[in-house]
Amino acid sequence: MSYFDRALVVITLVGILTGLVGTLVVLRKRVLFAQALTHATFPGAVIGILLGVSLQLGAVVACALIVGTITLIGRITPGGAGAASGVLLAGGFAAGALAQAFGSNVPIDMTALLFGSVLSVSTTDGVLAAVALGLSLLAIVFAGKHLVYAMFDPEGYRGLGYEPAAMEALLMVLTTITVVVTMPAVGAILTIALIAAPAAAARALTARLGVMLIIAPTLSVLSGIAGLLLSREFSVSAGACIALVATVLLGVALIVGRWMPRRLRGEVVA
Amino acid sequence: MITLDLLLHFWTMPFMVRAVIVIVTLGVTAGVVGVFVNLRGLEFLTDGLTHAVFPGIAAGVAFASSGGPFWGAAIAAAAATAFLSLLARRGVSSDAAVAVVLVAMFSVGVVIVSRSHDASGQLEQLLFGHLFTVSVTEVIVTAVIGALAIATVLITVRSQVMTAFDRDAARAAGYRLTLVDLSLNVAIALVVVSASIAVGNLLVIAILIVPGALARVWARRLTSLFTIALSFAVLGGLAGLVGAFTISVGLDIPIPPGAAIAAVFVAAYLLALLLFVIVRRPNAGGPR
Repeated sequence: MSYFDRALVVITLVGILTGLVGTLVVLRKRVLFAQALTHATFPGAVIGILLGVSLQLGAVVACALIVGTITLIGRITPGGAGAASGVLLAGGFAAGALAQAFGSNVPIDMTALLFGSVLSVSTTDGVLAAVALGLSLLAIVFAGKHLVYAMFDPEGYRGLGYEPAAMEALLMVLTTITVVVTMPAVGAILTIALIAAPAAAARALTARLGVMLIIAPTLSVLSGIAGLLLSREFSVSAGACIALVATVLLGVALIVGRWMPRRLRGEVVA
Repeated sequence: MITLDLLLHFWTMPFMVRAVIVIVTLGVTAGVVGVFVNLRGLEFLTDGLTHAVFPGIAAGVAFASSGGPFWGAAIAAAAATAFLSLLARRGVSSDAAVAVVLVAMFSVGVVIVSRSHDASGQLEQLLFGHLFTVSVTEVIVTAVIGALAIATVLITVRSQVMTAFDRDAARAAGYRLTLVDLSLNVAIALVVVSASIAVGNLLVIAILIVPGALARVWARRLTSLFTIALSFAVLGGLAGLVGAFTISVGLDIPIPPGAAIAAVFVAAYLLALLLFVIVRRPNAGGPR
């Protein structure tokens, strides 16, 4: 398998994954949280590489630490979780840069970590993306209804005898693994575009969750492949091209959605 | 003992003097503006603005001379600020759309840089700053932009505070909220522009957010909020700068000074939180 074929496979896997999980993230209005997570993967990946363990392992540990700290700080501090996540965002980048300086005998391509290098992804990266996709599909198939109910009506969900916090935690886990396996391909900074843009575009085109879960992955895969081809054509950063294509698709969807009849979007017409 | 000699006399070196001036200026500016960022809960808007300014800086470096990055950043910041105000005005408060557009602007910057040669080295300098090698022109521009930012919030200070505490009441009292929001966004953008060159685009967020957040933990009055934020921003900045210099020269590990400053800030914030939890004064926390 040539490196370009491998890139195509990985970007397709990652596209389906970001489309599915992104839909849940956008509906639950967790975009800013997901953004904080993507930033956290950066120092995690640097430290993971320096320690000789895998990039993804470092990133997962960093994400877990960040989630824990944000939750903790959000409880105890005046100013709330917003300030806390902001501080930790900054801390993440600083920690990454410092770790890289202290371990300067291990060569690390910083730009690859920040903006992705889909052309140099390994088979392991691909396998991990496939595993993450499998887990997310399982979660959506078996717990999808619970996730959505808890998302739209936490009180009602509690009233049925379930714990909404469990679903919140499940969404956090899904977001974390998505961010971690997407990062090698698209980079710590640009991953959020692939999570948020296709899902927001799908939201503009339909009000039906089932349809969103088809449109969003399709658009995400389309952005990935188109971005990859564009970056090869013009020899510029692939991650940036993918993010830009995703954004253009979102813009088109917003315009199309505005002109679509509400019935076609599946909205309840009063 | 050349190393020790160097360490003890860092202020006699012109590049360190320039760095100290820049960091003190930035500390004062970010301390004042950062309090408003915290009061108004604009952390993520600030993060977005830092990303949005990036293509301007990149284009400035790629296509223009020494003043280029500042002008490019200023234009990009103006465009992003106008765009965000427009979104807010039209009621499109979708955080997804905002996040995507700002990341897209960032991507434009990456594309611009990746077209030039030595893309990787240039990118790292833009992202993590070059505090040790700022030029005299950059020192002057930083000071001028910082003064503009402080002037912008000080002129509107009354309406900013009113809006921060009660948006609806401020509207009822006759303040033009669009104007209030716009002027704060402009001030934040100015700080982002002036700080991006020195501490790097990714680390600006630290010096803009942490002083306000730290002051908010301990301060009980508006005036003490400003005093704590301002003195912390200046002292923390200097500590990070001297630390980076000591490690770079003493241990021969070239750490980016911007990252050292950000690390000092974040560590101090976590320490302040820890102290707060241990002591937990009744009614502490100031205005909520």
